[in-house]
Amino acid sequence: MTPFKPVLLEAVGVPDGHTIASYKSRGGYAPLEATLAGKQPGDVIEMVKSSGLRGRGGAGFPTGLKWTFLPKDHPGPIYLCINADESEPGTFNNRILMEDDPHQVIEGIILSSFATRASTAYLYLRYEYPQSWHRLQGAIDEAYAAGYLGKNIRGTSFSLDIYLHRGAAAYICGEETGLIESLEGKRAWPRIKPPFPAIEGLFRKPTVVNNIETMACVSQIARRGVDWFKSIGVPADPSNPRDPGSYGPKLYCLSGHVEKPGCYEAPLGITARELIDRFGGGVWKGRKAKAVIPGGISMGLMTESELDTPLDFAGPGKVGCLGLGTAAVVVIDDQTSIVDFLHNSARFFAHESCGQCTPCREGTSWSLRILERIKAGKGRLKDLDILLEIGNTMGMMPGSTICGLADGAAWPMKNAIKKFRGEFEDYIKRTNPSGWMVTDPVPALQIVGAH
Amino acid sequence: MPVVIVDGQEIEIGADERLNCIEVARRAGKEIPHYCWHPGLSVVASCRMCLIETGQRDAATGKITMVPKLVPGCQTPVKDGTVIVTESETVKESRARVEEALLIDHPIDCPICDKAGECLLQDYHFQHGQPERRADLQPFHSRKRDVGPTVTLFVDRCIMCTRCVRFTREISGTAELMVTSRGAKEEIDVFPGHPLANKLSGNVVDLCPVGALGDKDFLYQQRVWFLKREANVCGGCSAGCSIHTEHNQDAVYRLKPRENPHVNTWWICDEGRYGWHHLHDQSRILDAARKATSPSHRGSGATPATETVEWADVVVKLRDDLKTAGRLAVAVSPMLTIEEAWMLCAVARSIDPEAFLALGFVPTKGEDETFPGGFTIRAEKCPNRKGVEEVLALYGAAGRSWNELVSHVAAGKADAAWITAGYPGPWIDTAAAEAFANLKQLVVQDLFDSPLMRLASWRLPATGFAERAGTWVNVAHHAQSFRQAIRPPAGVWPEGRLFWNMLGRRGLYDATAVRQQIAASSPAFTALAGEMPATGVDLRIHQLA
Amino acid sequence: MGAGNVRRRGGDNPDSPRMIAHRKVLTDEMVAKIEALAPRYPNRRALTLPALHIVNAELRHVPLEAVVEIAAVLGLAPAEVQDTLTFYQFFHQEKPHGKVRAFVCRSVSCALRGGDHLLEQLCAKNGVEPYGTTADGELTIEPAECLGACDFAPCILANDDLLKNMTPETAEAELKKPRARAT
Repeated sequence: MTPFKPVLLEAVGVPDGHTIASYKSRGGYAPLEATLAGKQPGDVIEMVKSSGLRGRGGAGFPTGLKWTFLPKDHPGPIYLCINADESEPGTFNNRILMEDDPHQVIEGIILSSFATRASTAYLYLRYEYPQSWHRLQGAIDEAYAAGYLGKNIRGTSFSLDIYLHRGAAAYICGEETGLIESLEGKRAWPRIKPPFPAIEGLFRKPTVVNNIETMACVSQIARRGVDWFKSIGVPADPSNPRDPGSYGPKLYCLSGHVEKPGCYEAPLGITARELIDRFGGGVWKGRKAKAVIPGGISMGLMTESELDTPLDFAGPGKVGCLGLGTAAVVVIDDQTSIVDFLHNSARFFAHESCGQCTPCREGTSWSLRILERIKAGKGRLKDLDILLEIGNTMGMMPGSTICGLADGAAWPMKNAIKKFRGEFEDYIKRTNPSGWMVTDPVPALQIVGAH
Repeated sequence: MPVVIVDGQEIEIGADERLNCIEVARRAGKEIPHYCWHPGLSVVASCRMCLIETGQRDAATGKITMVPKLVPGCQTPVKDGTVIVTESETVKESRARVEEALLIDHPIDCPICDKAGECLLQDYHFQHGQPERRADLQPFHSRKRDVGPTVTLFVDRCIMCTRCVRFTREISGTAELMVTSRGAKEEIDVFPGHPLANKLSGNVVDLCPVGALGDKDFLYQQRVWFLKREANVCGGCSAGCSIHTEHNQDAVYRLKPRENPHVNTWWICDEGRYGWHHLHDQSRILDAARKATSPSHRGSGATPATETVEWADVVVKLRDDLKTAGRLAVAVSPMLTIEEAWMLCAVARSIDPEAFLALGFVPTKGEDETFPGGFTIRAEKCPNRKGVEEVLALYGAAGRSWNELVSHVAAGKADAAWITAGYPGPWIDTAAAEAFANLKQLVVQDLFDSPLMRLASWRLPATGFAERAGTWVNVAHHAQSFRQAIRPPAGVWPEGRLFWNMLGRRGLYDATAVRQQIAASSPAFTALAGEMPATGVDLRIHQLA
Repeated sequence: MGAGNVRRRGGDNPDSPRMIAHRKVLTDEMVAKIEALAPRYPNRRALTLPALHIVNAELRHVPLEAVVEIAAVLGLAPAEVQDTLTFYQFFHQEKPHGKVRAFVCRSVSCALRGGDHLLEQLCAKNGVEPYGTTADGELTIEPAECLGACDFAPCILANDDLLKNMTPETAEAELKKPRARAT
């Protein structure tokens, strides 16, 4: 199978690939110029809708459709927020795009702003990407100098400013309305919906929040066309009118116990096994995989026998995972304790829970404490049922929480315990021979080292 | 009219009403439990206790389609055909889980917590919680944190409903309270050196659903199940906020705001909230007393002795003394009720048909102060100026002020004066009292001693707001009637009882009967006829064309 | 209930003797940088996080005095700024963090390749607890959640530099090198 020729990653490895000169030599900004010269905002929306592009930030919502939720004839201002808060464990493709091809992202932002009639684009960048900060600011400055940003771009009535806004290491700022609250200067507590951001978002004005990779895709669609985009990936299931398909190239992040961790571009729909073996050099040290995260830790776990699942928007859901998420594949080898994995996951979510709503604030904290206790040799079988119950009941999907962080916290718990229950039970019985069968509450242990 | 279906029961709501599921369910007699929602604050839907099942009934087919997941009742507006289910298994399980979650790290402080008996966490635990604890036990009691002059924070009891923080941002506009940290480690705090010190601070204690915020004035004073509550009106200023006086054995323990959409909505100011201590001040005047005027004392230069007079004797002797004195001037205090004011004027005219009637002293302090949420504290620190002025108009003394009375007396145009006061603190100095130094009879009816009281020939105790029944009219012409909550100390007769008896009426003082009589006597008071609504009535309601 | 009546910002009158006597922490340059960003946003509150970063970049912490001053510049109550500040669990307040601030990733991809061990060893070698600063004020070691460099796990972000494929030994050597301050 011929390897897919990178498009989104075409600038990686190119000397000075991040400069405007390099970008333009690859055909960049010509689509923007053509759009501004002859197209209407509605044309760009139609283009993106027809392409079947689905958001690359984790939710996979059709991008063009999201843009149509903005109110027609709103006096403005309308805002575009670019979510560069990439914090989903295992994910690093946005970092590479921003560092190595910032103009690809910027052209996408300008096209998207033109389409949505946004007058200001705020690029919310996580603190932990200082190199991206420098590259992006440099590229933004180049774009202003070249007349692609500012007032009356290319002599049209379209004006746009892009401002970088730096985060401070909080995962929840990657949630759409958490990002908005953070940008507004408050604690990043996600908002209740309705109203949705398209109606009342940043500063209570109509707002669209899009991911970095999505912006890069918009650039490429504008350059290479809708047909090109739709020729890649997995078409919509003709028997299911609700299926938007999984079109286009995707950046897959591969990490964990593989020989060659890295970001690999491939058409949507390759399987985890292909990604690991063909791109990643196989599981490291000649071992086998015990479990694989399909799309960032929030998506849960696939077992070794589930690795032939296609990694498109529909695939992981079929094996009980939350979805494709950020397509960040993390491999866990067969010599790793699944208890350690789940503890790591619980620690992450307890640390990152914004604390606003009861089920997530208390559920993530309680599950961490239970796992700490299990790891300290005081676990009980009953704990697994409690963890499953917490996992089954907290989240936006059952309606018990305001945002999806809780769903992300729940899925690794549900998958790990359901798919690896034997290992959990063995561990508990082995480490707590005298107490694994107890069903009464036990006095809490002094938690050492938990944050 | 839109119809909402609550647990199968049809509830009609007004076409223009904007209600959430909690408000509508109440009309069906169902209380959806909730912590963070409050009608006076922004909706955050963060406690998740009010999660219910909702759906829509098709107007044409009658088919009901339910939303597949739980939704918060507080953030879900109702419209025609909304279906609300409050008691399904899914809803009950959700509530039980929220309760369990809140109790995981909650200190078991009930035996030492003020909130016991009126704590939503307790109540909901019994109504909706699980019988068995599953979480690790970590017995501890809450840390205490001083957040300001009026409020103590018991940090670990907090359930993060954020009502208190939202109050300081949206209603008082002072933003002293904050949430610190993130996740399960969040706490409420104030910024060092910037304590919770606004004039509405006590309201956050009312808002707190649990015992996290404690009112320093009330802490450890009384278990709430011993308290009785009476619907009263605050006497602190002309805003006339509706309150509940909470008392036991004739002692007031605290005042709480009473919801009144026409006056104070859900709030009262600190001055009003804590403005009851004067009722139990040891230095209150408790005896009716009269300076002895037996011939042996006249002209001897000695200070006339004061003799205590039994209340039944006051009724007769006071009238006699005033009649003997001659021309009478009366200050009708704006602390009196309409009923008391009306009777006092009647008594005065029955003693001296030409009695000079005027409004009593009107205490003011500072300026009117309006807070961003709309609440206003009035500079006029008396509750019934408007009501007394309307009564004076009935007696042909419209617009007559305290200053006019002082001039009248200073000019020697009166032989006797009856000054009703009843102010919670000092209100007159020696210089001002001098105007009353040369009267044959000076009756001063007040709570505390003063330079004027020391000149008085008749010293009468007054009563405070919780010790009287009657009606007050606030600055916006809103009239509210209230009952007596506690008895005055030491057998003191409230003004109403004294005036009633001086008018020769039989039986116990009946404020309602007097109010009816006043309502019948003049179009200005027609609004007071009949049953008075708990939240009062606009006095001008019949005059508004 | 007009805007003129809005009672804002419990706290001292900036012209009071006590406030004047208090040593100013924000330099004119910092205030100028904050003000330069003001046209980007429709209100002052949105300057909160940028202002915190501007102060933090200079002082390597945001002390309580700075919070009061930032609040005054932005027209907010100190509690509002502190509320936002503490949410991020990112800004040191009591004293400056080290000249090198080393974030050691502990999320799943780095943990699978030794991240927890790396943190533990670095703390031991430098005699600090996690989040602690060495006595000479040079180095702070903090656990971080996914740094987005899982292709180089386990990794460390030291000021602006991403340290890749670290071992306790290579990390120790790297962290002892002089390093430009963080942006």
